Amino acid sequence: MIKLNNVSYRYKGCREWVLRDIDLRIEEGDFLLLCGGSGSGKSTLAYVLSGLIPHFLGGELKGEVAFQGIDTASMSISDFLSRVGLIFQNSDAQLFNGTVEEEMAFGLEAMGLAEAEIERRIKEVAHALGIESMMDRSPMHVSGGEKRLVAIASVLCLNPHVLILDEPFSNLDWAGGARLRQVLVGLNRSGRTVILVEQRLGQIIKDVSRCVIMENGRIIFDGPPVSSRHYLEKARLLPQYPPKTHNTQSGETLPVVSVRNLYHRKIDRDILHDISMDVRRGEILAILGKNGAGKTTLARHLNGLLKPQRGEVRVDGVRVSQKKSPEMAKWVGISFQNPSDQFFKNTVREELVVGISRSGANPEKRLEELGELFGLKDLMDRSPHLLSEGQKKRTAVASILAMDPRVLVLDEPTIGQDGRFLETMARVLAALRRKGQTVVMVTHDLEFARATADRWIMLDEGRVVGGGSAADDFKAVVVNETP
Amino acid sequence: MKRLDPRTRLAVGFLAIAAVVATRRSSTVVAELIAVVGILPLLGLIRPWISSLKFMLPVTVLVFLVGTISFSLGEALFLSIRLVNLLTLSFVVFQKVTVKEIGESARKIGLPYGFSFILTSSMRYVPLLGDRLAGIMDAQRSRGIDLRPRLRNIPNFLALAVPLLVQSFVLSEQLAMAMEARGFSIKGRTFRKLMRLGPVDWILMALSTGLFALFVSWEVLGSGG
Repeated sequence: MIKLNNVSYRYKGCREWVLRDIDLRIEEGDFLLLCGGSGSGKSTLAYVLSGLIPHFLGGELKGEVAFQGIDTASMSISDFLSRVGLIFQNSDAQLFNGTVEEEMAFGLEAMGLAEAEIERRIKEVAHALGIESMMDRSPMHVSGGEKRLVAIASVLCLNPHVLILDEPFSNLDWAGGARLRQVLVGLNRSGRTVILVEQRLGQIIKDVSRCVIMENGRIIFDGPPVSSRHYLEKARLLPQYPPKTHNTQSGETLPVVSVRNLYHRKIDRDILHDISMDVRRGEILAILGKNGAGKTTLARHLNGLLKPQRGEVRVDGVRVSQKKSPEMAKWVGISFQNPSDQFFKNTVREELVVGISRSGANPEKRLEELGELFGLKDLMDRSPHLLSEGQKKRTAVASILAMDPRVLVLDEPTIGQDGRFLETMARVLAALRRKGQTVVMVTHDLEFARATADRWIMLDEGRVVGGGSAADDFKAVVVNETP
Repeated sequence: MKRLDPRTRLAVGFLAIAAVVATRRSSTVVAELIAVVGILPLLGLIRPWISSLKFMLPVTVLVFLVGTISFSLGEALFLSIRLVNLLTLSFVVFQKVTVKEIGESARKIGLPYGFSFILTSSMRYVPLLGDRLAGIMDAQRSRGIDLRPRLRNIPNFLALAVPLLVQSFVLSEQLAMAMEARGFSIKGRTFRKLMRLGPVDWILMALSTGLFALFVSWEVLGSGG
């Protein structure tokens, strides 16, 4: 169906080739997992397959790309509408209409279809994906999993032969991921060609019929998933976590953070109900839960970004609500999900110095330590905005740790990150544990939490529904764990 | 209300806003306030309006203070009430006409589709950018950057501006690509649920225009202007 012959590509104004000598045939009905680490070229290949390269992004494309025997260079972007549908990683950019129904109608109107046909297709696809009840809702105000379904619906309406999804499981919790997995399997079984672009491999690898692995712009493996393990490990897509050592620091020490009967309500919804928990000095605590469970709201209370409406939060015995937010930053530093929210300096070094200047430490010595710990030594003079996703995340966490806070809080540290980053982050956390740093990690990544945390608590709809030490299993409180 | 063509709703709304702008007498502005607030329960907007007061009141108080210092207490009251009327009417218009309808109306009066769509899309992304800004504020406050409104903190606001600008550029690039992938620039687009002006729309628009003309002449002549 799609044939790539010796394809290389580089973006406009760039010297580096992002794709190199790609030969690939995609057959009708394939369920293909296109995987690779951050910067491997997999998203760029998806743009080539969907015609955005060369028709929208420009740049230099060498070799032949043919769809059903027609050279894609001779086609226009409109020719791709009913052939290849691409679902982007960022739902906020993909969903740009006022309601779910308008979102689904957008492409159909662009195709110039009659009103009756547009209505028919919308109804059919909405029914197939089970989203009829949300047709009048704004796509911006539905859950992360629902956003993915709406994005799929908006493309599926166009009835493309091939459906490409760029990292559809990132940002989804285990429940949203499981639902999406079912939908994708169903779509492929109904005869559609499905291409998944991913850097995290969950259970989905068991569903696909073929696996293509990329590294440095080249395909290093193309074959059945059962034969892919060696190459997945080579591309470090299956993270190898360091063995966990027993934490001798946290034992029976006094809690550094103590939360009692914390309650928070927003608009018409209770976000947190009577949360009580302790974080012991030197331990790594994972706060687990699905999207919307109240994890980030709880984290925001730890350094005073949110004031308790009821209950209290104490750090080292001091009520957080008595302190001003800038003062609290030295006690509890939070690194939020999106590292780009933090960067405003020209270089990584300057970003780190912002934090170091608040700790009173010797800048050169502390820069050296942080550079070593986070593997940033060679990146100090680069702009943080131009780093890879993994490098950005490491810089963001390092810039918080630079303040030398008593408690380091990591909000969803693994979202959008590849196996290489996960390994690095696990090593960083192990090193922090050895130094006695207290860490609270907010995540729905159960695998990472299992590999790194000493203890966990599980939130569901704002309540603590479970907890235990790392040796205990999450399974009692988790259904459909991994997508 | 929803049965009316969006253009009618917009026209009536804008004429009402223009009438408030043209008001010169204190007694009229008070009457307008009573009428405008009185109509809110009929439109089912009283609760959202009360919520919106948290944005309206600080601006109104500021106008009142500046008016008192610069003019007189009476003038300050007049300006403040007129501002509440204007903001409330604008609030009603944006509650009763969706962003999509504004875009469609713009297209119907002759603006190119691309322009009207981008106009409405940018309005839709304002809350999203607001959320992003809130996220950036939290991230910077968590780094100990003082963002409280103090003169000495002005340089610190660069920590908000830079990430917001960078993220806006990235989002606009991704948005352009996503729109293009769904056929934004293709010629020959169809439009379902076409807007049509019915007899009721025409009558209402004519009535509103007549009333507006009468009001303006009465207000201007009555105030001796």
